[in-house]
Amino acid sequence: MARSTPTYTPVRNYAIGFLLSAFILFSDIRYETFANIRAFVHASTLYSQMISRGLSENIGITLVSFQENKNLFRENKELKEQILKIKTQDFIERKDYKEKIQIIDFYQTAIGVFKNDVDIFKIASLDLTNYLCCSSHRIYLDNTSQVQIDKNVPVFAGSSFIGQTKNIYTNFIEVILFSDINHLLPIKSNAFYCDARGIGKPMLISCKASKNNGSFENVIGDTVFTSGLGGVFFKDIEIGSISGINSLSIDEIEVVITLKANPLEETFYGVMKKVHDEI
Amino acid sequence: MKFSNHLIILSSIIIGFWLDDLLNPISIKLFLELNFGFFVFSYWIFALPEKLKTAAPLFYGLVTDLFFSNVVGFNMLFFVLTSYIIHLYVFRFRIFSYFQLSVFFSGSSTLYIAFKYLLLSPYNYSYIVLTTSFLINAVLWVGVYFVMRAFRRSFF
Repeated sequence: MARSTPTYTPVRNYAIGFLLSAFILFSDIRYETFANIRAFVHASTLYSQMISRGLSENIGITLVSFQENKNLFRENKELKEQILKIKTQDFIERKDYKEKIQIIDFYQTAIGVFKNDVDIFKIASLDLTNYLCCSSHRIYLDNTSQVQIDKNVPVFAGSSFIGQTKNIYTNFIEVILFSDINHLLPIKSNAFYCDARGIGKPMLISCKASKNNGSFENVIGDTVFTSGLGGVFFKDIEIGSISGINSLSIDEIEVVITLKANPLEETFYGVMKKVHDEI
Repeated sequence: MKFSNHLIILSSIIIGFWLDDLLNPISIKLFLELNFGFFVFSYWIFALPEKLKTAAPLFYGLVTDLFFSNVVGFNMLFFVLTSYIIHLYVFRFRIFSYFQLSVFFSGSSTLYIAFKYLLLSPYNYSYIVLTTSFLINAVLWVGVYFVMRAFRRSFF
């Protein structure tokens, strides 16, 4: 059994190392032999530190400037978005304001013409395809506030009647226009009285009249009024003018009337609250 | 041993001394002088006695002196001495417990600190510093030992 752990440590090398380092230490403490080398190393270290610090500072500055640029870009984008938003809001406000002015003007006109009992509605839709080509001429008014409106009451736009209510839905009012072929409107002019029917073309109605019932010479351009004979519309409201006379047979003619109000140019419509008693 | 391995060892020792330089201005207010650099060096000699003989401690000591000491030769001397003692008892150390190893290496470290003060700054020599350093470094040695062992196993 071994009495001690095995070792192999030649003392000579260590002794040399010890003496050498002791000599170096002594000479450096006593005579500062390696002061220059130490100073050089310290200076190099300091320079390296300075350079690395400078580099790291520059990198830091660059990174910060990148971040600042990024922030500026983001801020710029946000500002652009805000400007766009403000522009949009301004546009909407101006549109609203313009619309309000239009409503006020329209309301003043309506009150001027029809005294009271008028509700103002904005158009919801107009079947343009049908209106421009075919016989059915209907518009739908927006009634989201669900105002109580009767059927078959006069509807006007601009300064003239344009049709009458046909059906009332939850949020819409269906209006049949004078130019719809299913609509019949009692009219009069200086020359005649007749029931004018829509002819399925925009702003045009016509009525048949007997040549014996009056003189139809030089009537083109004459103003046409409501006669009030249907019991729906006021009498003596201008609705249009005679634009053509077509001969149908020896004693019958067709009087074509161009309506005054154009649904394509109107945004607001007035609806009478109830069927007026006056005929 | 390859030169790159020497560089790795030297780098770890330099990091240890750099840590000492960084922490000692704070720890000295608590009468504690840390000695990570010396611990790291001791660990390498303890772990690789057959590869690190006389020249390596001399060289490591010289570099450490140039970078971290006010005089050249001090670390060389101590590194050679420590290396000799560790080499002398390396197989005996293998059967030592962690506690015994801690006491030995912490004692060596305290001796290193004491001689440093005596040689380079005798006016600041303090037994309180030596006692506190001995106790705290004994604990720190265990940590250094395990960290360095993990580090060594990833390279050697």
